[in-house]
Order: sequence, then structure tokens, then C-alpha cells
Amino acid sequence: MDSELRLGVFLCDCGNTLSKAIDFSTIKTDLENLPDVTYVNISHDLCLETAQKAMQKDIEDKGVNRVVVAACSPELYEKGLISVIQAAGVNPHLLSIANIREQCFWAHPDKTKAAKKATTQIKLALNRARFLEPVEKTRIPVNRDVLVIGGGIVGIEAALELSNLNLKTTLIEKEAILGGKLNQFPNLYPLQVNPEEMLAARLKDITERQNIDVLTSAELIDVNGEVGNFSARIKESNEEVVRNFGAIIFASGYNTQFSSQIYGFELSNNIITQSKLEEILKFSSEVKEIPKSVCFIVDVSGEHSRVSTLSALRNALGIKEKFGSEVCILCRNLKIDGAGLEKLYRDCRNNGVLFIKFDHLPEISKQNGKIKIEVEDVLVSEEQVSISYDLLVVEETSVPPPDSRFLSSALNIGLDTQGFYQENNIHLYPTASNREGIFFAGNCHADLDLMRALTEASNVALNAYQLLAQEKITVEAERVIVDPNKCRFCLTCIRACPHHAIREVEVDHEKMAAQIVDLACQGCGICAVVCPAKAIKCKDGSDEQILSELEPFGEHV
Amino acid sequence: MTNDNVLVIGGGVAGIASASKLADNGFQVYLVEREPIIGGHAASFGCKATETCSQCSVCLVSEKMREVTAKPQISLVVNSEVVRISGSIGDFEVDLLQKPGVVDPEKCIACGICTEVCPCEPKKGIFLPSPEAIPHTYILDRTQCLRFKGAECNVCQDNCPVGAINFEQKPNSKILKVSAVIVATGFEAFDAREKGLLGYGMYSNVLTGLDLERIINGQEWITLPSNGNSPRNIAFIQCVGSRDEYIGHGYCSQVCCKYAMKFAKLLQYQDSEAKVTIFYIDLQTTGKGFGEFYEACKKTIRFIRGIPVEIREISPDELEVKYEDLAKGKIAKENYDLVVLSIGIAPRKDSWDLAKILGINLGNYRFFDTQDTLDSNRTNIDGIFLAGTCHGPKDIPESVAHGIQAASKVIQTLKARTA
Repeated sequence: MDSELRLGVFLCDCGNTLSKAIDFSTIKTDLENLPDVTYVNISHDLCLETAQKAMQKDIEDKGVNRVVVAACSPELYEKGLISVIQAAGVNPHLLSIANIREQCFWAHPDKTKAAKKATTQIKLALNRARFLEPVEKTRIPVNRDVLVIGGGIVGIEAALELSNLNLKTTLIEKEAILGGKLNQFPNLYPLQVNPEEMLAARLKDITERQNIDVLTSAELIDVNGEVGNFSARIKESNEEVVRNFGAIIFASGYNTQFSSQIYGFELSNNIITQSKLEEILKFSSEVKEIPKSVCFIVDVSGEHSRVSTLSALRNALGIKEKFGSEVCILCRNLKIDGAGLEKLYRDCRNNGVLFIKFDHLPEISKQNGKIKIEVEDVLVSEEQVSISYDLLVVEETSVPPPDSRFLSSALNIGLDTQGFYQENNIHLYPTASNREGIFFAGNCHADLDLMRALTEASNVALNAYQLLAQEKITVEAERVIVDPNKCRFCLTCIRACPHHAIREVEVDHEKMAAQIVDLACQGCGICAVVCPAKAIKCKDGSDEQILSELEPFGEHV
Repeated sequence: MTNDNVLVIGGGVAGIASASKLADNGFQVYLVEREPIIGGHAASFGCKATETCSQCSVCLVSEKMREVTAKPQISLVVNSEVVRISGSIGDFEVDLLQKPGVVDPEKCIACGICTEVCPCEPKKGIFLPSPEAIPHTYILDRTQCLRFKGAECNVCQDNCPVGAINFEQKPNSKILKVSAVIVATGFEAFDAREKGLLGYGMYSNVLTGLDLERIINGQEWITLPSNGNSPRNIAFIQCVGSRDEYIGHGYCSQVCCKYAMKFAKLLQYQDSEAKVTIFYIDLQTTGKGFGEFYEACKKTIRFIRGIPVEIREISPDELEVKYEDLAKGKIAKENYDLVVLSIGIAPRKDSWDLAKILGINLGNYRFFDTQDTLDSNRTNIDGIFLAGTCHGPKDIPESVAHGIQAASKVIQTLKARTA
């Protein structure tokens, strides 16, 4: 820390509007008499460039090394002010702001009280400034390779886009071939795209790329390290390999599962799942007996799956086109909230697909080798309709891939209530995990149709690129620090850290201590709060800063 | 890192997301917005949280807007429209026309004096459009301002402490040289007047979803326009302007079911006695976490299948809704004090003009079209990309994701050219 504190205070009266209620010149004199205050300035428009230029010059000329600003909301101008003080050679963490406009004069009708509050806020900011500590930036070399887990269409697309962005990618797939669900789908309605052609074009593209390495029959076992320097253990066939990566993208997709408990019956030769039907449609030339009438049922196990409605619509039209069978879809609410799905629904209807909507689950029984369905059609009447079909196609629920639970605990990444991966922030960072450098794309974390999944593939590719675009990542060093002498190595912080940013290190002959990994730390300060030994200090909110901020309130208590 | 400039047309969430990502990756970005402030439709929406967050994603908008001011690589050009474009990828030349704004955003310090002194009542002629407005500047409403009604009023100009107000500004033109263009011009809310029988614009207590958004955006309680009371018996009508081939909107708008249910919960939160009925065709309850929300809605909200055909005002505070009772197979009538039309997303009426200027294609339902079905960003013109709802209905997080996708495609395309 600098030997001498030189505080510079910049007051802004917002175009003279605030000076009606409070006498800035008195405050200025008061502040000037306080110890360590080197310079006090009153401005009218600190948000404008000219005033900010003057501020920069003042900081430089007076040798100010801590800056206090009393103006409007930092939400609006903090970032701008940070660049000003940085340009003046002051560390960005040495800025303390008092919001005297929105939080004082605009919030309180009583101007005398507002003025009193403003004075307190300024003192508070000034006290805090005394204990601010600089945080320096450091550049840490990173590995620029990316690991993509899952060779379905999302993984393939992400790998291709990463390759376009000149990043080397390893794509691992647990099956023997790439393509995932695309190998299974007979068509991709509502898109007029052939899944085989789509896949073939991409596979050809992948083999031509120098910077994509594909490992099939391969599974991720464990990951050590942190963003920029992950080391992943991968089991390929029966061999184990360790490779290093800068970022990891999960595109492991979803599995489907039929649950007989919900339906109350088992699968049989005339009750089949969507995946089984897709197999039949895919290899239709081998089908001996064409079902004359087929009924689909969805929304039984849950009402909220985009994927199961979509496969029913897609396969209903597929069956109509291939076999000309009589087709009916039973559903509660048709999920058509995706591009082209309303049109697909209309195409189904125009091709003669019958839609029956129910509120109560239909009764299903077998009769003379046929499936008898008794259902109350809510659109027609209150009466039960009795219909009979050769084949019943039941929906499957989407479930997370079997290894996601294991990987989530091995990698310390979150799962949601269904067991799918949990995003860091569903609004702001929908493809980021709770760990820096680990991303999710596609149906391994959300219920998406193909176009939405492709959008996510692009998003993660760009996010990974942004992280690894340079040889080194710039991070703030030692924003949070552990005092190894105080650390009792109780592991509380390691357990509490949501970002997997604390590791164990040996500090001195067998004495172990916690250490913050700057690359992974997001500065949330949870560890500093939970540490029972008070061994962890968060420089942007240390105990000294907070206690000093409370001091001005002592006068009122 | 790169010398490429990119033009983003439209400062809504999708355009902002594109601009912000391009800036992060070292590009210089011109973000052109025709309005005086950015944020587009989403900036006029309000938070729908009750005692818990309802995940409407509106908070994301101001977060994204602030990214624009924080990134010096983004040059924001407001009040402007693209009038001509020439050249090709790597070398586009774009003519912008900047409408004269009365308040100079470069000078305005948002002190609020102009609004204080403005003689217009009750609605002021000059005001801060939103507490989070970016650029953070006051704007003048020509429909309110006395000066534009012929009066000799100079009060705001005379009182402005920084001289930011100037009535004499002239339209300005500007030429930009850019390597690629992202079109993110957004949507237009369906005009509910087209459905004349629903009475929007005729009956004061028939509102649209967008009207409710604007009310709660001002952090106000939702009240009945006719008498200012809290609504007790509310009907929501879904698919107004969506899933309707007859008016050329044969698509699902993808946002209305979710916002209607969130509003319904909010109305019941503000008045626990409020009864809400939602008339629908198919409820779209997909999306992460929304299933649980819908299950909670089922406990307090009445859902009726079928879209009412007619609304009549039987007294200033009472509306009669005529619908088909499917269970009984008859026409039924019910009275409500407030009817909310869940209007959907429509293509902008002027999208044809921009399509002509840029030479890009319009597709189904007059949204902008892409060249390849599997690539939702690339248009028929190399170097021009789409982002957000100008390509088709999307919610806020999807618009952001699509904006980022467009940025990704621009970066990949320009990289391939220089390689």
C-alpha cells in the first residue's frame, strides 16, 4: 500500500440542481479540513466528458491516490468514472462512490434531512476510501484447446464453429459413431431437411478440419484444474488418456425413457415408443406389416415437454407420408411454440391427422388385437368417444444422460431438480455453468427444439472463444486472499465456494492451507464470510471497510 | 485485434446482445437506433415478480443496456435510420439519416430541470423516458411540446444549465463504412384493433398485454381505466393475432401464454380476491421451470378452452364476453371488469422498406428470411445477418441468444475472409 493517503473528493451538484438543498461550499470546507484529504472539487456535470477530463487532470496534478465521488447513481456512471481514474493512473479498486442524487435528494421530500443524509453518505464513502486496497491485473497463460462432450448435432455444430474460430477442439462421443439423435430421426419436420444428408455434410466437414479431433466410444471420467488449464481424464475404448483444455462444453443431450407406472401397462408389439416408431420409419422398406391405423398419445407423464409433442407431430406426418395410415394424436395442449410448428400442425391436419384433446387421461385397453381408447374429447362434447387403433405410440420422457449425476459431483457443477445441468443464471448466462470455463449447450440442460439447440451451439462456441481468444487470460490477482497463518484448513471455504475456486496447498512442512485460484474466483466473497478463523479477506469488502462505513452512523445512534 | 467495423441496425435486446459480443471480441460497432433511446420493446416491459421471481427476464434488459455504455467500442447512433447501402461483404457503405433531436445526448446531464419548468400539463413535453434510459438523456415529445403546437415557448431551453436544448437542429446524414451488417429491427405488437369485435380502442377496460407491461413498467398497480379501482374479475384472451391464417399470422408468438400467466399471478398478488380466467387454444407451458409455474397457476386461475369471439360493454365498468362453452356445446356469456388481449408478435409493417434497401428477402408471414433453413442468421446477401424477432417470434432470452449467434456468425465469416 502507498505510504501516504492522498484522498481526492469530487462532488457533483448535477447542474446546480442539488445545490439548492445543500450548501456544497460548506461541505467542501469541512472536507478540506479532514486529515488526508488532499483535494476537493465541485463540478456541475461530472457525467460529461469535459468534466471527466478535468477530473483526470486534477487527480494527476494533485497526486491523488484514492478517489471519492459524490454524485448520482453509480449504476449510471461508475464504469465511466473507473476509466477516468485508470487513465489518471489510479487503480480502479480505489474509487468510492456516494450516491447523493437518487438515494438522497430524489428519494426524500424533506430537503434538510436529505442534505443530512447526503453529508453522512459522503463521510461514509470517504471512510471506506481510506481502507480500499488496489487489485492488480495479471495475465495467466492458458491452454486454448476446447473439449466438447457429446457428438450429437449440438456438439458437432459447436466443434465446427470453434474450428471456424481457429480453436482446436476435441469432440468425444460415448457411442461408436457421431450424430446422436440425428441417426435415429426419420425426418426433421418442420424443417425440410433430410437428417442423413444434414449429418453426412457435417461429418464430411469435420474430417476435413485439421483442428477437430474426434474420439468415439469415449467417456469423460474426471477433470482437474480450472479454466484455462483443465486436465481431463478420458476413457477411450479401454484406454485412459489425459488431455489438457482451456474450456469444456457439455453437449451431452438427453435420453428418453418409457415409464410403465404412469400408463399402467407395458410395451408390447402394438404399444410402442416414439423411438421404436422412428426405427420403423427409418427402415420402412424392411417393415412387413404396415399398421393401418396409428394413435399417438402425449402429455401423459408431464405436460411441459416440447420434445415429445414435436416427435409426435413429426412422426405422425412421417407415417401419413410413408404408409398412408389413419393417424390420430391425443394430447392435452399442443406445444407449437417454435419456428414452423404451427405450420407443421396444419400440415398434419391437412394430411388427415386427427387431433383429440383430453383433460382426463384416456382409458386404454386391448381388444381383439387392437388398442381400444376411450377418451372424452373436450372440443366436441362431454361424451366419451370410443376409438380403436392397430398401433399405439406412447411418449417417452426426457431424462438426463446416465453419467450426468456422476460428472456433476466429480466436476462440482450443479444439477436442477430433474437432474439436468443447472445454468449459472437462467436469464443472464443461460449457457454458463457455476464454474468458469465450463459451458452447457442443447438438451443436456433445457428442453429445446433443433433450431434453439443450434443457437446455443453458436453461443457456447463464441463464449469459449472469447475466453481463450488470447494466449493469456487477464484476471484480477488476489482479489480475495487467504492468510495461511490463520487458516486452520477446516475446508469450510472449499465446501462453500460455488465456483470451485479454492484449492488445497502445502504452505510449509506438511502444513496445509486453502488457496484461492484467481482464474476461477468470481469475487463473491462467500468464503470470507464463512471462514471461522477469519483467514480470508475480500479486498472489495473487507471488514475494515465495512466497519469504517458504519462509523458515521455512530453520531446518530 | 481486428480492423473490421460492424453495423447493427436496431437497439433492442437482440441488437444490443450482438453489439456487445462483437465489442468484446475487438470489433468496432455502430449500433443504430431509430428512437432516441435504446432497449426497444423489452425496455418498456415491467418486472412481474410476486413474492417470488416469475422469471420474466425483463431485468436482463437493463443489464444488457448498461453493457452498451460500458463498452467504448460501441458507437451508439440514435434517432437514425439506414437509407441506403452499397458495396458487399467486407466493404459496405451505409448512409444514415439522423432525425433532429431537440436534446443533445452528449450534453444532457439528466438533472430534470427541463421537466420541472415545462408548462405542459398534465403530461410534460420533455421528460426522461425511463429511469434507466440509455443514452441517459431527456427527450422532447413533439406531440406535447407547445412549441410544436405553434407557441413561442423557450422555457426549457432558457433554463437548461448546460445548454443541451436546441430547437434549431437540422437532419443530419452520415456515411459509415462497415464489413458486415446485423439486422435486429425487432417486431411490432399486433394491433388489436384489427380484431374489431374484441372492442380494443372502443371500450376503456379492454387492454392488451403490452398496455399492462407499460403500466407495471411505471411501477404502478394495475387499475381499471374506467374508475381507477383494482380489477377483481379479469379475463385474458390468448392468441390475439397469433395462430390465425386468416390475418396472415399462421404462427405461434411463443411469448403470450407465459406473459398472460405471469400477469394473472401478479394481478392475484396485488389483490388476493381477484379472479382470473384465461381463454386459450393450447397452452404453451414449455421452457425450463415454467412447468412448475403452470402447476401453481392451475390452483388459482380458471382456464377455458376456446377463444371468445365478441366483447360488448354493457356498462362503463362491465364487459360481456361471448364464447363457446365446449363442455355444454353452447354459446355462453360472462361478465368481467377487465379484459386483457394477449396480443402477439407481428413483423414490422415497414420491414418491406428495409428489405428493399438491403436487398434481403422476406419470408413466411413477412419476417426477414434466411438463405439456409438450418442457419437462422445468414440472409441471401453475403455479409448481412439477422438477429432477434425480425426473424420470427422469440422471447427475451432467446432474442439475446440469437443476437449472440449472429455476432458469432459475423466473426466466423470475417475470419474466414481474412484467413
